[in-house]
Amino acid sequence: MKPILRLYPVAWRRRYGDELSDLIDEMPATPATTIDLLRGAATLHMRALLDRVAPRLLPAGGSPMPTHPLQRHPTATALVAALITTPTMIFVGLSFLAYQLELPGMQTWLQPFMDGLSQVPRIVDLFLLAAPFIAFVIAAVPLMGLRTERVDGELRVTLALRARTLNLIVLAVCVVVGGFLASHLLVEFLFERP
Amino acid sequence: MRDRSSSSDPGLLLLISLSGGPKHGHAMLLDVAGFAGVRLGPGTLYGALSRLEEDGLVEALPLEGRRRPYRLTDAGLGALRGRLTGLNAAVSIGLARVGNR
Repeated sequence: MKPILRLYPVAWRRRYGDELSDLIDEMPATPATTIDLLRGAATLHMRALLDRVAPRLLPAGGSPMPTHPLQRHPTATALVAALITTPTMIFVGLSFLAYQLELPGMQTWLQPFMDGLSQVPRIVDLFLLAAPFIAFVIAAVPLMGLRTERVDGELRVTLALRARTLNLIVLAVCVVVGGFLASHLLVEFLFERP
Repeated sequence: MRDRSSSSDPGLLLLISLSGGPKHGHAMLLDVAGFAGVRLGPGTLYGALSRLEEDGLVEALPLEGRRRPYRLTDAGLGALRGRLTGLNAAVSIGLARVGNR
């Protein structure tokens, strides 16, 4: 089992290597011990990596929960997200009324707009498709907070979720609109291609 | 189902072990196995021990032959007292609730 000690970080091995080596001598060589030693080496490398990286990312004492500017203005971000997804929402809503529910006269009324849409640059289509997903991310950011802190010497990362009614409503709209549009495009791509 | 409640925090187990007096690695393994029924592996033991020393909760004593004993520092004693007090409160509430069922 002693060759496993070579897998431990050099600095750590200089300090504890001899003691660990002596302890291994006093223990039976079992698969469980081997696995424990391998896990110990991996943990120490991970810890060393976190110790190098964490101070650059975190202020002392842990990061405060709302760190991103978007998180300090949840209502504003919800409204921006709603604004971004509104064109898609209108497009999907009208399409649903005309082509799914087949409301009388709707298709005739909507067709010129659809024809016009097929003439505009592809970027407009892409925006309509991407808007709900972009809006989803924007509305979701204020609801999530990553807090990192040291507890008894261990780095702990906690994900906290906040429930903001307006943001949740926008998220639900984004999911419905984006999901409807994506599924529609997928079906069209799979089954209705010439 | 395997009971991981006590084995999931080797650092706490080592602090409890050292609260009974200075010990070297092998003595800590035996002590922990005795009072907690947990067999710590050598990698787990020294991983936790190095972290505790780094945090100033334990300190190394001069070598005794080939073995190096460790002891609890004042900060370690305070940290252990705090953890046990917190656990004790949770255990008391849990036992009371279990007892009421």
